[in-house]
Amino acid sequence: MTTTRRQFLGTIGATTALIGAPTILRAQSQPVFRVGALCPVTGSGSPYGSGMQKMIIAAAEAVNAAGGAAGHKIEIVAEDTQTSPQAAVLAAKKLIDVNKVQAILGTWSSGVSLAVVPLTNDANIILMNTSGAPALSTPPANAKGLSYRYQATNDRFGRAFAEIAEKEGFKRPATMAFNNASGIGNTEGFRKAWEAKGGKVVENVVYEPSQPTYRSELQRVLAANPDVIVTGSYLPDTTIIMREWFQSGQPVKWIMPGWAASPDLVKAVGADVLEGVISVDSVSNENAPSYKAYDEAFRKVTGQPGQSNVYAAMTWDMMNVLALAMEAANSTETAAINAKIREIANPEGEKVYTYAAAKEALKKGEINYEGASSILDFDQYGDVTPDFGVFFIEGGKLNRRYVVKI
Amino acid sequence: MFYAQLLVNGIVQGLVIGLAALSITLVFGIARFPNAATGDFMTFGAFSALTAHQATGSILFGGLGAIVATGLVSLLAYWAVFRRLADRSVVALLVASIGIGFLLRAVLGVVFGHGQQVFQVPLTRPYVFNGIRVMPLDLQLAAVAALALALVFSLLYLTPIGRQMRAVADNRDLARVSGIRPGRVMVALWLVAGGVAGVAGMMLGIKTIVTPEFGWEMLLPAFTAAILGGIGSPVGAVAAGLILGVAQELSTPFVGFTYKIALAFIIMLAVLLLRPRGLFGQLEGAR
Repeated sequence: MTTTRRQFLGTIGATTALIGAPTILRAQSQPVFRVGALCPVTGSGSPYGSGMQKMIIAAAEAVNAAGGAAGHKIEIVAEDTQTSPQAAVLAAKKLIDVNKVQAILGTWSSGVSLAVVPLTNDANIILMNTSGAPALSTPPANAKGLSYRYQATNDRFGRAFAEIAEKEGFKRPATMAFNNASGIGNTEGFRKAWEAKGGKVVENVVYEPSQPTYRSELQRVLAANPDVIVTGSYLPDTTIIMREWFQSGQPVKWIMPGWAASPDLVKAVGADVLEGVISVDSVSNENAPSYKAYDEAFRKVTGQPGQSNVYAAMTWDMMNVLALAMEAANSTETAAINAKIREIANPEGEKVYTYAAAKEALKKGEINYEGASSILDFDQYGDVTPDFGVFFIEGGKLNRRYVVKI
Repeated sequence: MFYAQLLVNGIVQGLVIGLAALSITLVFGIARFPNAATGDFMTFGAFSALTAHQATGSILFGGLGAIVATGLVSLLAYWAVFRRLADRSVVALLVASIGIGFLLRAVLGVVFGHGQQVFQVPLTRPYVFNGIRVMPLDLQLAAVAALALALVFSLLYLTPIGRQMRAVADNRDLARVSGIRPGRVMVALWLVAGGVAGVAGMMLGIKTIVTPEFGWEMLLPAFTAAILGGIGSPVGAVAAGLILGVAQELSTPFVGFTYKIALAFIIMLAVLLLRPRGLFGQLEGAR
């Protein structure tokens, strides 16, 4: 076959156009809905971030395999928050302005979520986060009702702490809180719940980050002779506090959030110091079929059990909820999707566990997506109520003794 | 008794601040600019001590590692940057030192990661004197600090190079016409300033945790102490560090733990308004 110059130029032109076009167009003509995956791949959230990002991508693949949502194929653009509000804001700006994403999923740590939420509000897109700060529930952060939280609020953590303290028979609790919205949220939630049970908190101390020593703070708390100290703390400050407490020699029990009393804490201060410390973290909805689907996907991409990353189960749910709301709204407009989120996730409706099955069920009527991370019933603030696992540190290992529901 | 315990807590905190302030005040007195990289020199000292401690298992070698490595890094900063900017304004030098701080922090972050690291030192129960708890580790650290201070002060007041350093601090031009070579003085200054910051960093690191940002966060209290003590006065810096540490802890029953940090700044404000030359500073004449 001979090629004329005109044919040749035509071919070159078509090839160039094809190369220039986004990948999707080459495969099929289905329109694209872009979603930003903004997870803490580096920084202090790094133990969780990469798994969170992978599960957003895996869930999007499952959605696309089931024919997409609202006639659209989901495309994920991933960025790293570095667990730092500054880096997260830059990344979110890039996702919104350059990539034109229509929703952002997966922010971790309250500082990051609180920094990103004004940007998503301005852009009129949905933000789904895994942070605890109470401020995320209400205006200005959630002024437009576009922010959804898949982690328990710090207030709910506090309530869980109160349940545990009662169950373990403590009588004289004291609190120590890192001075930020999340830390104080934990201990205030505890105080309110404990006083509602008729108890009394013997001492409350709020301390500052990055101090060379917390001995005076400890001295104040221990002077009140508590039988348990409930904290709203983080890993670095908890490391210092636990060492100084152990050296003080005064026996007392501790109840801490899981992000402080983690295997990293054991590594930093040693198993002796932490013997008997109670670590509380939200646990996934482990008996649900949706959890099984998540667990399979998680094992496939990471080789780890799904239990090793509670936040990855949350991000898996985020993508599913977003896609189901799109499908139910049959629209890619934020307002239309937002109006459907509670409808597809909250009760009344057939309980569904995977995207493909839910999409079918939607054709028949109302659905209620039961997530892998929790049953995912959003309240008026866009918050959910997961269950809490109670872990006792014994011989340097975190052993889960029981689960608390609030 | 309660206050006595707070006093003890404050002294330990004050020693760390005092050492950092000493490093700042030495540089300010002789090189004549506020060295904002001091905090990051501390961080560098903590990481070098950590590395030496992990390699040898000895705190002593950790301390030596901190002094030597940080002294050299500080000298390198002088040789590569501050020396070339010596004739520029204070602001140029200050900004350059902030830049060096950033660079150090970033390099440490890349090499060691941003996660926290700890010195694996055995945890011990305190000695109790009349109901006051004193940690054996704190006593050791106080001894290290005292040793470092003794070395620095004997260098400054008992050796020829120390006398030259003080002469340059007093009047640079007069020192030069008297035949003092500023080059040697500067080398000595940066080695000492780095070494002192390194020891402060190691002490802080042993007491707390080591991250690439932790020294930077100590910079403001250290500056406050340097100003309170009278800028350029080594004795003043150490004394002011102790005063700050103790005052912060003693104030906590009255103002709480959140505002004890503000106290440092109120003290600094008061000093600047009422006695700008600080506790031990000399009035600066027109130069």
